[in-house]
Amino acid sequence: MVDSQDKELIVTENLKKVYSSDGVPVEAVRGIDLTINSGEFSAIVGPSGSGKTTLLNIISGLDNATEGEVWFKGRKLSDMRSSALSDLRRDHIGFIFQAYNLIPVLTVEENIEYIMLLQGISKEERHQRVIEILKEIDLKGFEDRKPLQISGGQQQRVAVARAMVSRPSLILADEPTANLDSKTGESLLDMMRKMNETTGMTFVFSTHDPMVMDKARRLITIKDGRIAEEKIKEGE
Amino acid sequence: MKLAWRNLFRNKRRSFIAGTAIGIGLASLIFVDALIIGMKNNMIRSATASFMGDAQIHAEGFRQTQEVDKTIHKFAELKTQLDEEGIIQHWAPRVTNLAMISSAADVSSINLVGVNPDQEKYLSQVNQSLIQGDFFKGNNERDIVVGQELADTLDVELGDRVVVTAAQAGTGDLSQEMFWISGIFRMHIKEIDSAMVFIRITVAQELFGLGDKIHEIALRFPDPSYGQNQQLNLWDKYSQYGNVAEGWTDIMPQMKAALDLFDFSTYLVALILFGVVALGIINTLFMSLHERMFEFGVLRAVGTKPLGLFRLIVFEAGSLAILSIGIGLILGFVLTYVTSKVGINYTGIEFAGVTFRDLLYPVIKVSQFIEYPLWVFIFTIIAGIYPAVHAARMNPAKAMRRSL
Repeated sequence: MVDSQDKELIVTENLKKVYSSDGVPVEAVRGIDLTINSGEFSAIVGPSGSGKTTLLNIISGLDNATEGEVWFKGRKLSDMRSSALSDLRRDHIGFIFQAYNLIPVLTVEENIEYIMLLQGISKEERHQRVIEILKEIDLKGFEDRKPLQISGGQQQRVAVARAMVSRPSLILADEPTANLDSKTGESLLDMMRKMNETTGMTFVFSTHDPMVMDKARRLITIKDGRIAEEKIKEGE
Repeated sequence: MKLAWRNLFRNKRRSFIAGTAIGIGLASLIFVDALIIGMKNNMIRSATASFMGDAQIHAEGFRQTQEVDKTIHKFAELKTQLDEEGIIQHWAPRVTNLAMISSAADVSSINLVGVNPDQEKYLSQVNQSLIQGDFFKGNNERDIVVGQELADTLDVELGDRVVVTAAQAGTGDLSQEMFWISGIFRMHIKEIDSAMVFIRITVAQELFGLGDKIHEIALRFPDPSYGQNQQLNLWDKYSQYGNVAEGWTDIMPQMKAALDLFDFSTYLVALILFGVVALGIINTLFMSLHERMFEFGVLRAVGTKPLGLFRLIVFEAGSLAILSIGIGLILGFVLTYVTSKVGINYTGIEFAGVTFRDLLYPVIKVSQFIEYPLWVFIFTIIAGIYPAVHAARMNPAKAMRRSL
């Protein structure tokens, strides 16, 4: 039982989300039952408007479900207040966005250490971790640059570093390769897969990039707000 | 804090425009305050230095009735006391009452004032306002000094003869004396220039049948503000034996009311300026907020608590306040300093019964550069609370609707 709970990182049960768009109800998610286990390298795939982003928003506590429940490491998200959800995201979830979304007024180092700052980690340790991760993503020496002073691929690597530096259990990546050329995208995915293999960190992508689908070990296909297909690649 | 400060300079032009607008508000506040202090000082100086003095002693009821019989009690004793009074720089005795002056051309009712020229020169500015003749040079008892307007009415010039008619104390009998115009003054105060006439005090006492009695003692303090200080024991000390000592605020209550109105004006100006400042801040912060909505969503997504965002916006408001205060202090100081040296010409304008006689010099005080910036800072923080609450309450998913 304990083992099972340790393994199940996210569990959703009959998850539904209805938006109101100009007064017209729109069903973005229509009853999703999903379990994401620790250490997975999974991709939620589907066309635009299929509900991928909404699903990620709900399982990370950024949005509320209209119906159904989400458990994160056994904790029911609907029972948690806004501040507790912030703590959960800060300590357990790393985000990678399509448009990098680094804070432009902060340097590379300051962007990466931001979450550690929220966690109250000492300056020395923050600096040490930033240097280590910059070395891993091959951006050592870029710590004092502002985001706009580096390329898009480098910015996305910094975004990956920001998501991983606080050593969360789960990384949620929304179309992380959408703005990158295929070579940079592949290199980034390789880097994330390596981290998944070495640290056991769970990665969940939202994507329709075939390269991401190719690298993922589990594919969850969503269509019209429902899981249409699930596929686990054998032998990976 | 670092993030808030840097965010301020993200859109330099907007921050500079907003900072300048708020800074101009602060500078205006500093200048208006300095101007009003200068205006009050000028009014007080104009009112007290021209003739009234900082305070006066009369017999009880004299000021209200102007009865010629109501003379100051125990004047001989008072003279000694006044000479020894440390707080009193100068004092001058006066005899004053209504009279009639006539020339070959016309007749006019006047306020006849008997003065001791040697003492009076420290209390009033008649001698400094002479445009012709002298202020009682030599010992001629027939000298009379009149205002320019009265001289015009009577169609008299220096050396011309006039006759003054007054009612005597006790009997009410009319008494007449002839004088020669020895001085003509112009103080630019209509009531004085058209109706105030000066003769020697001994002659006035004789004319009014007062013996050695007087109606008024005008007092000059080292600072006119003593005249409004009710805590001085001088008021009680000289309000004895049927006399009453009063400061200029009691003698000219309309001026006191005007000064209070000035204070109210300062509050009103402050309120309007703070209102403008508040709207400027709220507008700037909201513009910045909406521009960075997605970024706030990201900050919330990575674990920033609602309170953290609230603090960030309040710090941004504080940073904007610091920038604005810097600009406002420089503008305020330059504007106020320059005008305090050059002066503003309000001469000849009458307000609340007082005519401005000197250039108006705004008065710089250290408190203006501490209190008002502090208020702007506090006000800016308060104004920043509304957008801060808005930011703290935003739904991160909605804020990031474009992506995750």
